[in-house]
Amino acid sequence: MTDAEASGRSRRGRYALSAVVLALTVIGVSALVRGGQETPHSLPAAAAAASTPPDRTAGVLTAGPLMSTSAPTRVVIPKLGVDVPLTGLGRQADGTMQVPVDATTVGWYTGAPTPGALGPAVLAGHVDYKNKPGTFHRLTDLKAGDAITVDRQDGSIAMFSVLKVERYAKNKFPSDAVYGAINRAGLRLITCGGHFDSAAGHYEDNIVVYADLTMAHPA
Amino acid sequence: MKLSRTLLAVPAAAVILFAVPGAAFADESVQVQLDALNKSGASGTATLTAMADGDLKVSIRSTGLVPNSPHAQHLHGSTDGMDFHCPDMSADKDGNGFVSTEEGMPVYGNIFISLTTKGDTSPKSGLAVDRMPMADAKGNLSYSRTIAAADLPKGTIEHLKDLHIVEHGIDADNNGKYDMAALGESTLAKSAGLSGIPEEATDPATCGMVAGAAVGSVPVGGVATGDGSTRNDPAIAYGIGGLALLGAAGAFLARRRLSRQS
Repeated sequence: MTDAEASGRSRRGRYALSAVVLALTVIGVSALVRGGQETPHSLPAAAAAASTPPDRTAGVLTAGPLMSTSAPTRVVIPKLGVDVPLTGLGRQADGTMQVPVDATTVGWYTGAPTPGALGPAVLAGHVDYKNKPGTFHRLTDLKAGDAITVDRQDGSIAMFSVLKVERYAKNKFPSDAVYGAINRAGLRLITCGGHFDSAAGHYEDNIVVYADLTMAHPA
Repeated sequence: MKLSRTLLAVPAAAVILFAVPGAAFADESVQVQLDALNKSGASGTATLTAMADGDLKVSIRSTGLVPNSPHAQHLHGSTDGMDFHCPDMSADKDGNGFVSTEEGMPVYGNIFISLTTKGDTSPKSGLAVDRMPMADAKGNLSYSRTIAAADLPKGTIEHLKDLHIVEHGIDADNNGKYDMAALGESTLAKSAGLSGIPEEATDPATCGMVAGAAVGSVPVGGVATGDGSTRNDPAIAYGIGGLALLGAAGAFLARRRLSRQS
């Protein structure tokens, strides 16, 4: 082709693209206006049968019950006789999680989904602190199926069931397993365990209890 | 000196502790799985991260899109509790084998945020394809943008898990571009009084639903939930005793030094 032809074609292409841009912008606005008023038409059975198989099954990609976001206020673990209020925990300047300032209080990590909502909610409590046994000092007694309930600010109650209890060296803490994405509403209870390194002044391990939401009690 | 610094630090820490909950409790990362619509063969994943400062970070990686073409993309849905989801082929009301944008809207909701590459992100920019991301020559699309808190519609962060992502632009006849020959004219365009816009350019290619959520700000390492103070560990007792002795000795020496100076 000649140069003239080529430039003509590219110019046409450019005009076409501009037209598309302009048209789509107008369409976008009108589609929005119309979308709100749209009412689904009833579909003839024949047309439905003729349609090709769906690309995906309609529905949800998540599993189990889910609750909206609401801050937790209290955690109850019947098996351990635990029934304590919750306080918010952020992060320290060094990026590690803050911990409660007394042995009794359990904290919920505010940089995570709230208990009952999709994703891993995180509660942390001391195994011992300032010469007192902490609220979570018997966390390793929990077994699969044990109940944990969390009261929430909106008056609803999230009921969890323990999946497993794991112990990890703090220097090999599995952040992905504990904090990573999950397709359901989960809960992690964290405390300390294992050998106490008296030189460093801390336990060498973390105990992590994994639980799933099994029931959502509405407010 | 050291003591006073510690005393000052305690209230500061307490303030931080109590200041956090209200401000940042939605600090989380929502995973969206983008599945093919209209036999596009495209798919992808997206992450919506609610930042601690209220901003929203959106990252999308898609493959199998129409190469070298712009793909309009949006967050769809609403924050009023409507239960939207991704459409299946039953949304194809006119039975042409493709779910058009207007056929999909009753299912996935109106445009909530336009995922443009720059500038306005309101629904007004819904199909401003000059500011929409292009798929590369292989049909891959990579998008990342942080939308400032001030530009987010009210309730966005609270309802992040109720929103959907839709990417538009398909190649029904596999010729590598949007054209009229494949599906004809866009019904959207036509009803808006415009002619000559390929249906391929406006039909949805992927629809993404929330598939999971993660902690938004992952803490570093393990958690210091214990000080060993209730353990019957003789080493600790000796350690504490030893420290106390050292302290006493230090104080004694210091006093002696002071008294000698005076």
